[in-house]
Amino acid sequence: MIKQSQGARLRIVDFLLEYLVLIAIVALILITAIVSPRFLTVDNFINLMRQFGPLSFVALGMTFIIVGGFIDLSIPGMISLVAMVTLMLVDTIGEIPALIIGLLLGTTMGFINGMILVISGASTQAKALFITFGMSLIYRSIALIITGGFPMNWGTLFEHPMPVTRTLGAGTLGILSHSFILFLFFLAVLFIFQSKTFLGRAIAYTGGNLNAAELGGIPTKRIMIFIYALCGFMTAVGAIVLFSRVSVTVPTVGTFFERDAIMAVVVGGTSLLGGKGSVLRTVMGVSLVILMSNCMNLMGVNTHMQEVVRGAILVLAVWLDHRRHERG
Amino acid sequence: MVKGNEDSESVYSGSEMLYFFMLEKGRMTVDTKKNEVILSIKNVSKSFPGVRALDDVSVAFSRGTVHGVVGENGAGKSTLMKILSGIYTKDAGTVVFDGEEIEHTTPVQSLKRGLSIIYQEFNLVNTLTAGENIFLGRYAELKGMRNIHRKARALLDSIGSTINTNKLVGDLSAAEKQMVEITKALSFDSKLIIMDEPSSSLTADELKRLFVIIDDLRKKGVTIIYISHKLDEIFQLCDMVTIIRDGKIIDTKSIEKLTRSDMIAKMIGREIENEYPERSRCVGETIMEVRDIRTRKLKDISFELKKGEILGFVGLVGAGRTEIVRAIYGADKAKELKIFINEKEVKIKNPRDGKRESIGLLPEDRKLEGLVLPFSVQANITMSSLEGITKFGFIRKAKEKDIAIRQIKNLSIKTPSPNTKAKTLSGGNQQKCIMGRWLEIDPDILILDEPTRGIDVGTKYEIYLLVKKIAEKGGSVIMISSELPEVLAMSNRVLTICEGRISGEFNPEIDSAHDIMDAAIG
Repeated sequence: MIKQSQGARLRIVDFLLEYLVLIAIVALILITAIVSPRFLTVDNFINLMRQFGPLSFVALGMTFIIVGGFIDLSIPGMISLVAMVTLMLVDTIGEIPALIIGLLLGTTMGFINGMILVISGASTQAKALFITFGMSLIYRSIALIITGGFPMNWGTLFEHPMPVTRTLGAGTLGILSHSFILFLFFLAVLFIFQSKTFLGRAIAYTGGNLNAAELGGIPTKRIMIFIYALCGFMTAVGAIVLFSRVSVTVPTVGTFFERDAIMAVVVGGTSLLGGKGSVLRTVMGVSLVILMSNCMNLMGVNTHMQEVVRGAILVLAVWLDHRRHERG
Repeated sequence: MVKGNEDSESVYSGSEMLYFFMLEKGRMTVDTKKNEVILSIKNVSKSFPGVRALDDVSVAFSRGTVHGVVGENGAGKSTLMKILSGIYTKDAGTVVFDGEEIEHTTPVQSLKRGLSIIYQEFNLVNTLTAGENIFLGRYAELKGMRNIHRKARALLDSIGSTINTNKLVGDLSAAEKQMVEITKALSFDSKLIIMDEPSSSLTADELKRLFVIIDDLRKKGVTIIYISHKLDEIFQLCDMVTIIRDGKIIDTKSIEKLTRSDMIAKMIGREIENEYPERSRCVGETIMEVRDIRTRKLKDISFELKKGEILGFVGLVGAGRTEIVRAIYGADKAKELKIFINEKEVKIKNPRDGKRESIGLLPEDRKLEGLVLPFSVQANITMSSLEGITKFGFIRKAKEKDIAIRQIKNLSIKTPSPNTKAKTLSGGNQQKCIMGRWLEIDPDILILDEPTRGIDVGTKYEIYLLVKKIAEKGGSVIMISSELPEVLAMSNRVLTICEGRISGEFNPEIDSAHDIMDAAIG
């Protein structure tokens, strides 16, 4: 009898750990809906969807880095540089070519991150943390140097009308915003990539046990470069979606995106230890992070207090990640 | 017939025999004090979700004895020890240590009571000195570092060790680390020391020294619980033996009343015909020639491997055996290395190249280098063959499952399902998963680095049979093992490795074990 109830309790705990994010999301929606009547309005829904934009792309990219057992702090630098370079080029070479160059630039920066890790022999998350932190400073500073520190006011000061950027930033299809549709597209592609392809599985092997994967014939070095390049690409997409929403873009526009992306990935339940996780979990994580901001804004919680809550949730998520790992 | 005790001891030289004789005498002198019980365990049970790890276990350990605990992997030895040290809490039963009933305890409390455990992996801080490690956490009581080093020196001297107490533990050899652990146990005035597989990383010489120290402790009235897979050691060292199987105590007997074959039969619950299968004999033409491997550690390693051959590498831990095979497989960079396979020179720069040239490596440390522990048995088995069953980069799931089921069957891996996590399997079954990974690819050359380390007797035999089958089907095997009898019984040819060089080539059917060991020690 006692044994059985213990077993049942264990199962409940496992269940709670597994679906904690979903439960939290539902709870958050219910509470906010009750407390603030503005929450369940169409305006707020569109607002939420737009907020979903930039962070969700970055977090999708970050998912692969974290599943691969690494981390990328260079996001703020990459976002800033991609945004600035793309916007600077629009008037000279046209909008579409500039956007393509922006995407290539993001991918290249990620590729460089990965190459540096491979060449330096950095094979741990901790080393990746410091290397990408350094790279972020470099990318961000380049963004500041080439713009002289001035913001880009593409909304009013540019000659080019930038139709693609404008529709991406404000257009809707039915009730879905364009950026959200773009997000759904990337989610579908990356989900299939992660769960069905050899490369997707190889990333998990690399994150699960780098040594074993290497000895088992998995091309771990190529995988490291690939995940950083992929993250760079997704970050570039995030950067474009980000500046599409605001007509004035400052050179430090990417600040804190690495923090929110890591938080979304980990809160979603992808393990910081590597090997385990999925882009679907990241979607839940992003939803939670954004709903939480929205909820606290609607309830009029002070900005500094919001930071306290964010910090606490990140700590809690890492803690739970560890507990889950111990439970196996 | 099981290989008798006498047979296996023929590995040892005359002086060693004399030494064992002296051990025997030492055992006699303490006989009188043996009756007093220091630790008694009564009706202890422990369950984990889905497993009854210990089932109504009762056993008593007497003062001043060396008490062996043997059993297959997963039999419950570690669980029992972890309950004693306080890492796990028992579900039922009583534990009485030194006259005091112990209900709840923690590892630190156990230490202070005089019960210490020396784990296989050691519990030391590599970046502190030997002396600091011995008195870790007690610096204040000892009033300063000078005192610590002085006391550490005295304790080390008492077990006849010459380790410099100012040396960093990270720079010590495995044997020296063990000395530091023993000294640490003594510094707590331990009445009972549990040693978990203490010999797994020791050379024959170091093991002898360990035996002398253990014998000395026994004479001083300290009880040693000696957990080991190596039955030779149990017979040489222990007064009493407890055999555990499936969480139950099968038998506790004085060593004189047990034979080796009894013990094996009790451990596995059935009689094993042989400890080793009959040697395979199907050596053919040369398949691989290795010329002049040179790395920081290795000097001019050249040898040939023939088709269908089982080539044994014998040498001390750290002699360079693992480095040789890692260089061949492309896992480590070599300054100079020429490999010819079927008389064609091949370039192997990383394990992928090695795999492409049809070489497989079963690594030395299955948990760190072999398995992805949190992944399923299936994912672990298919890791290396997955790339071959893709279509446009997509994995064909049905084929993947087929591979896993085929290898689970083929190797009779004991797992509830292919989706079970690899870390829940016993050591032997984990090793089989890695074997299965390579058998699926069926490489021409399979390198096995310590394939049976920490694996129970029954599974060992299965692995021997597998290796033999590989050779008989025309595959070539390089086998590294620290267990001399194993290499000698399996191999067609043996190379001895000493200090980064090949120090001799032997035919294990003609040359004596003594000569081979001699060449390995250098």
